[in-house]
Parts: sequence; structure tokens; C-alpha cells
Amino acid sequence: MTHDDHPRDDGPGQAAADERTKPDDGSPRTDGGRATDGGHAGATGELPATGPAEEEHHGFPPMSSVKRWFVTTNHKDVGILYIVTSLLFLVFGGVLALLMRVQLWAPRAAGEGILSALAYNQSVSIHGLIMVFWFLSPFAFGFANYVVPLQIGAKDLAFPRLNALSYWLYLFSGLLLGISFFQGGSFAGGWTMYAPLNIPAYTPSIGASTAILALLLFVVSVTVSSVNFLTSMHRMRAEGLTLRKLPLFTWSILLTVWMMLFAFAALLAALMILSADRLAGTTYFAAADAGGSLLWTHLFWFFGHPEVYIVFFPALGVMAETFQTFTGRRLVGRKWFIASMLLVALQSFVVWMHHMFLTSINLQIKTLFMATTIGISLPFDLMVFSLIYTTIKGRIRFLTPFLFSFGALLLFIIGGITGVFLGAVVLDYEFRGTYWVVAHFHYVMVAGVTALIGGLYYWYPKITGKMYDEFLGKVHFALYFVGFNLLYFPMFVVWETPRRVFEYDPAFAPWHKVATVGGFVLGASFLVMFYNLYTSLWAGEDADSSPWAHSTTAEWAIPSPPPLENYPGIPSYGDGSLSFLDRLGGSDRAADGGEVTDGVDVAGDHATDGGVADDRRATDGGTVATADPATAVERAGGKSHEHDAGDHGEGHGPSHASIWPFAVSVGAFLTLLGLSGLQEGAFAPGLEGGLYMALTGVGFLVGMASLVAFGRERFHGLEGPFGESWPFEGIENTKTGVWIFLASDVVLFGAFIGSYVFMRVASGWTTWEIVPGDPLPGLMNTYLLLTSSFTVVLALVAAEKGSRGGVIASLLTTFLLGVGFLFNKGIEWDHLFHEGLWLDTNVQASTFFLTTGLHAGHVIAGLIVTLYLIVRAWQGAYLEDSGSIEYFGLYWHFVDIVWLFLFPLFYIL
Amino acid sequence: MVSTKLYAAIYVVLFVFATVQVVVEEIGLLEEAYWLAFGLIIALSLIKALFVAGYYQHLRYEPRSLTYLLLGGLLAALALTIASSYSVT
Repeated sequence: MTHDDHPRDDGPGQAAADERTKPDDGSPRTDGGRATDGGHAGATGELPATGPAEEEHHGFPPMSSVKRWFVTTNHKDVGILYIVTSLLFLVFGGVLALLMRVQLWAPRAAGEGILSALAYNQSVSIHGLIMVFWFLSPFAFGFANYVVPLQIGAKDLAFPRLNALSYWLYLFSGLLLGISFFQGGSFAGGWTMYAPLNIPAYTPSIGASTAILALLLFVVSVTVSSVNFLTSMHRMRAEGLTLRKLPLFTWSILLTVWMMLFAFAALLAALMILSADRLAGTTYFAAADAGGSLLWTHLFWFFGHPEVYIVFFPALGVMAETFQTFTGRRLVGRKWFIASMLLVALQSFVVWMHHMFLTSINLQIKTLFMATTIGISLPFDLMVFSLIYTTIKGRIRFLTPFLFSFGALLLFIIGGITGVFLGAVVLDYEFRGTYWVVAHFHYVMVAGVTALIGGLYYWYPKITGKMYDEFLGKVHFALYFVGFNLLYFPMFVVWETPRRVFEYDPAFAPWHKVATVGGFVLGASFLVMFYNLYTSLWAGEDADSSPWAHSTTAEWAIPSPPPLENYPGIPSYGDGSLSFLDRLGGSDRAADGGEVTDGVDVAGDHATDGGVADDRRATDGGTVATADPATAVERAGGKSHEHDAGDHGEGHGPSHASIWPFAVSVGAFLTLLGLSGLQEGAFAPGLEGGLYMALTGVGFLVGMASLVAFGRERFHGLEGPFGESWPFEGIENTKTGVWIFLASDVVLFGAFIGSYVFMRVASGWTTWEIVPGDPLPGLMNTYLLLTSSFTVVLALVAAEKGSRGGVIASLLTTFLLGVGFLFNKGIEWDHLFHEGLWLDTNVQASTFFLTTGLHAGHVIAGLIVTLYLIVRAWQGAYLEDSGSIEYFGLYWHFVDIVWLFLFPLFYIL
Repeated sequence: MVSTKLYAAIYVVLFVFATVQVVVEEIGLLEEAYWLAFGLIIALSLIKALFVAGYYQHLRYEPRSLTYLLLGGLLAALALTIASSYSVT
């Protein structure tokens, strides 16, 4: 690429552009990127650049070393791992899609063509699962990992090792899914895994169980990730970076993660129940009684509809970000755009039954959910108009990232409009189960992909330090856009084709041939992308800190790629633009060379909350920091509670290396692979069953040993806060994380209890027979658990008083009470088994054993932690810092509270 | 912070409430007036939960945001439970 077609040269001429980079006072600054988001992101001329190659840091291997990638916990490394891995899954899911399209070249009977009937069903199902779970979200979270800490001014996420753990769990869950194909075939019941197709009676292969367990592991990864991101984004924002000023991509991720936290907890419940049905023999979804298959749709879509936005929001964030950068214009109605996203995030939890219009739910609720569905389209209208109007008010530069983003907007509009049809009950009666639905959601979901591909081009120079080839980027877009529409638009035309089925009316064949050709064009476009991005790693022009003329977010203020610890000092937006405070002493002095504010703005017209890329003018509501009392107050508040920002992490940088996230994930992988061999609560006799049992045992040992090593490892993370930590000021990171985790656990147990309530309502509340004949064992256990909660409180009191003996005695009592609880439960269960009640006896027994069993599992996990705490307390820990006991207590009391509801629901009422 | 005495007093209350829940069943109130007994027993559980969360988890003394966080999770769970149960009535 010549300098002339460098994307930066886009404006009125290079001279003008150069002019912009030279402020009057000679201090470094970049193009007019004035504080769109959170402040100004400026030049980097004098930043102490430490390239990744020279970062021999605490024995942390360089990027060229393979070892680095196994031990890294750095958010940028993890981001790269996510992006690369998710692209591999894109290829995997894409190949499955092409196989389907080849099969659909002509309407054929089962067994004709390249796929057998069951192979086709597997391709459909796993294509969907891979694209939704293993490609789309992780791809977005690759960017989130890389960019969000940079945009909020953090050196890493709050829990770097948990971040690495999320990645490895994700990778291994994907491997598990891949393996499922070799265990007698993978899951073949569609990506929605509807009951009763999802139980062994209809999908009997071991591989089908493995696929479910793979998804379960994926959900665990997502939960860990959600807790980490929420803690980081709320607790570790730079001074002055209030939520209002948060860059739009970060906003989109923040809302995504909130939705993830609650929605995936419901999916976790659904998958746990399904796993129990498949492996242990409970009969939730096999229920011949009322409710079984409906229960699955409720649980799945309570997760599934927020999932649509979980997948789409990051794309929306990329669109907002790139529309600003490539129109040189602050997003029109930025505040309303954010409000719309917030509204959608909330509304997304009250529309799920529009996926169930053809089930037996009553008409009143269908009508209500039709209304809420129409309601959720309204904020989207606002967002779409905001994006369109931004292009009108700005001056567009048609570079590759923008082309993809703009293409995504067009596709999304079509996807959105065609979705409105499906939201109407009467029309859905006609459209459900047809290619209208297939076409609609591909226009929505793949529009999201389109924007994210734009994001890939957008951040490629930042991540690699190299420019991609612009011409090839445009070729990619042209092929992609044509291929996309050739592939999906014909599906609207022949919408009467039945979904998920390979036989169709021969009259539709020409359109399906067009779609198949489109599929291959779309696939081929990615070859261009891979070639471009791969060769540019070596042949690409070096990218400076910001190759885009009008970028405004903080990641563009530091070198490409950024140094290991991101910023030379503590980033701050305290004075309205990004600057770096001296590491030492936490003073407000800017570090040498760290000041990257736009020299022109100092007079007082920095726009902190808005601003424009156009020089020297803050237009369209860009809040003027110095004139905005709210900002001034926030800033003062930020300083008052965060004067010691600089004191954190002094003397030594954060750690970056740990092998234990990888090791824990290996353990989890082996355990679940082993468990996939379970049927009706037992391994098959013979060699195969023995192998599965051995895998389970080995995996469990590896996992437990690695968890202990993980806990014992000395790892220095970042505590913060570094400025803004609303709304969790004054609550340490770990504590915040524990509470956020507990909130998701509330939804998990809530979904279990909700399932019980639902099944009971469906089969008649008062005619339901309670399983335990006698409430007294339950009452005994209530006493035991309440007492154990009290002793945990006493342990904390003892720790605060500095009494080692008191801590040990209290924890030991807690442990014994917990064991007593389990022992008592064991006796009770044994008694029930002898009465002939088993997990599969009836749905009453299933709900009783599984729900109280999940609770018992929580007790066991708590007891393992208690043992660990006792050993550590014996060694004299926790007297100085009782945090661990307190955090454990929060968990333990929560388990107690859950029992307070399980007891009456399952023993008395 | 709270004194150990208060923690102990709360423990006693929790213990007693749990017992009362079973007593409500033992005296046959469930057979007589199911929904009254149902309301009573669930209300007792709710009060117990509030005590544990408020004092043992010291939510009372934490920033309110943590309470809202948990209420958010609870609201989601209740929305799922109530709406799905209603859908099959």
C-alpha cells in the first residue's frame, strides 16, 4: 500500500491533516479527535513505547514464545486468543453451512446427496450452536477483551486469571463439541434443543450428551467472564470516566455483560436439568404429564431472546464507534442511543414468549408478549435513525471498517422489518417453521457478524501494529455483501420451504440454487479476508497509534500494539481529556511524556461527553466539561474518594503469567468428557464404560488439584479503584465479584425453583404430592444450616478480633455442621430410595432430587472451600485480612437462604 | 458493625421461625386453609431470608447498589416463574 491510499489521508488534504497534528504550543496531539467518548484520545509521540517483543516482565515470555500463550492472563493476549479461536469456529460452522447448502442444491429424499439424513440434522444443529455460541459471542468478546480495558483506562481486567480461565473453558468446550461428532454422532435436535427431542429416547448417541455438556461448559465460561467484566467495568474506570462518558463500544459491552449474567444463568439451569435428564435419568423433559416440553421452551427462550441482543449489542457498539470515526462526527443523539440500548437490555427479558406463539400457552399471554415485542422494536428504530443521521451530518470515508458497518446497518434494517411480521401472533402462525424465520434471523445475526468484521478491520492495526490492505478489504466487502444477499434473500422468496428439513417443493429449486451459490461466494469472501490479514502481518505498512483521522477513544492514544501494561501511568480524564498521572505518589502531575491532551482545548472547550472530530468546535450537545456542573461535581467526587489512585500496585507491576487457568480447564474438559458416558446414572459395563469412568476420575483430580494450586498461587492483580467505580464504590473487587456471581446464582436457583413451580402449576398445584413423607429431616437440616451460618459469622468476628483459635474453631464447627447436613440428607435419600422412589419415578421425585441435589452440590463446594480456609487459618492466615472468610460467608449464607425456601416448598407445602 | 449478641439473637429468631413453619403444618392449618398456611409459611421464609441477607451478609450496612443487584436477579427469576406459570393456566 502506498502512503497515498493510507486511510488517514482522507480529508481535505494531507497538509491540513498534518496541520492538525501540530498544535500551537508544540506539544504532541493528534487530529481533531476531541473527546467524543470520555475525553480526548491523543497522540503518542512521547509515550515511552515498549513493544511487546521487549517485554521480559516478571519472567513473562515474549509473544513469539508458545509458552506465552498458555500462561498469559493479559487481557490483550486473551483478546487475541478469543478472536483467533472464534474465527476457527467460524470456519467450522461455515463448512457445516456449506454442506447443508450443497445438500439443498436440489430437493432430495433422505440419503441422496452428500449428507445422510442424520448427518444433515447434525449439520443444521451444530452449525447453529457453533455460530451463536462458539463464534459470535466469543468473536465480540475478543474485541471486548482487547479494547474495553483500554477504553476504560485500566491496565487489565479485575481478575486476569479468571479471564484466562474463561478463554480456556471456552476453547475446551469447543473441543468437546468437536469430539461429540466421533461419539456416535453429535446432537441432531436443532440448535434450540427442543424437548422432548433432546432426551435420549430421541437423540440417543453419547455425542449428543457431549454436545449438551460442551454447551454447559461454555456457559460456565460465560458466567466467569460476566463476573469479571462487570467488576472491571464498574470498579476500574479512570478518573472522570463516568458511565455517561463511557465510549459506545464499552457501553454496548457493559449492557451485553449484564444481560449475559442473568440470561446465561437461566440457560445454565436449563442445561443442568437437561444433563440430569440425559445422564442421571430425571424426567423433566420426558414428562408425559403436562409441561415438560413447554418448560424447556420457557427456560431456553428466557435465555434465548436476551441472547439475540447479547450477540447483537457488541456489533451495535462497533457500528456506533466506526460511524463516528468514519464520518468524523459524534453520534447524533448519543445520549438517546445509550438510553435505547439500556431500554432494550431491560425489555429483552420480557419478550421471550414470542418464540412460543405456536405452543399451548394461553392467548392472553401471547397477546401481552406480542405487545412487548412490538415495544422492543421502538428503541431500535431510534438507534437506526441515529446511525443514519450521523452519516448525513458527517462526512463519510468509505474505508473497509465503515463499509462493513454500513452494510451491517442495511442488513439489520431488513432483518428487523421482517422480524416484525413474526412478532404478530396471527402472522407467526403462518411463518413459524419456515424459511422466513431462517432468512429473518440470518439477516439479523449475520448483520451482527458484518459489523464485527468491520470491527476486525477497525482494530486490526491497533492489535497488530500493521495496516491491512485496503483494496483487498474492499474486495472482501464486495464479495461478502453480494454473497450474503444471494444467500439469504432467496430464502424470503421461497419462504414456504420448511425449516430444518432437506426436502422441499421442487418448484423452489432455482432459488435454492441461487442461495447455494451465494453461500459459496460468502465463504470465498472470507478467504480474501484471511489472506489479507495474514499477509499484512508481515507485509503491511506499520500502523502508528491511530491510523484513523477521527478516532476519539483511548485505545488510539497509545502505540499499536499497546505495551503490556497499556498506559504510562494512571490514565485520567479528570480534566476532561485523557492524561496520565505520575505512577509515584498518586499526585495529579502528568508523567513525563504522558500528557497527550489536545493542547488547543485547554482554554475550556473540551467536550467530554460528546464533541466532534472536527477541529476546535464542540457541537451538537457535546458537553463542555468546564461548564458542566454535573461533571465538575463528579470530578470532585472522583478525586475525593480516589486520591490514592497512584498508590495501588506501586513497587511492582501486576503479574501476567499463570498456567492454572489452562490446567483447571483441562480438568473440566476431561471430567465432562467422562460424564458424557453416563446413562441413567451409571456407566455402561465393559471397557468403554470403564474408560469414561476413568476419564471422569482423572479429570476431577486434575481439576481439583489445579483449583487448589490456583488458589495458592501468589498472583498480583489490580485492585483499584482508579477513579470511577459507580455504583460499587468502597466494595473491593473480589467482594463485588462475589456479589455479582451470587446475583447470577439467584437466577440459577430461581430457574430451578421456577421449573418446579411451573411443573407443579401445570399438573395442578394442590394435587401435587410432596416427595418426603416427613418434614422433620428437612427441619433438622434447616437447624444445621442455620447454625453453620451463625458459626461462619462467628469465624469472621474471631478473625476481626485476631483470634486464630476462634477462627479455626468456628470454621471447623461450620465444616462439621455442613457434613452433618449432607449426612442427614444422605440418610433421607437412602430412605426414599428404599421406598422405591428414584429420580425417574415421576416428575415430583425428579424435581425434588435434582433441586435439593443442586443445593447439596453447593454445600459440598462450600465445604471444600471451608477445608481450604481451615488449613490456611491453621497456618495463621486471615487475622490481618479477613476478606476471604467474609467472601466465603457471603456464599455460605446465600446457600442457607436458598434452603430457607427449598425447605417449605419441598417439605411442607 | 453489629455486635455478636445481635447475631446470636437473629440466630434464635431464625431457629424459632423454622420451627413455627413446621408447627403450622403439624396443627393441620394446611388442610384447613391451604393458601392461608401457604402465605404464612412463605412469609416466614421471606423474613428469615431478609434477616440472613441483611445482617449475616451485612447488606444493611453495604452500599444499596448490592441490594439492587440481588433484587435484579430475583426480579428476573420471579418474572420467569410467574409468567411461565401463568402461561399454562
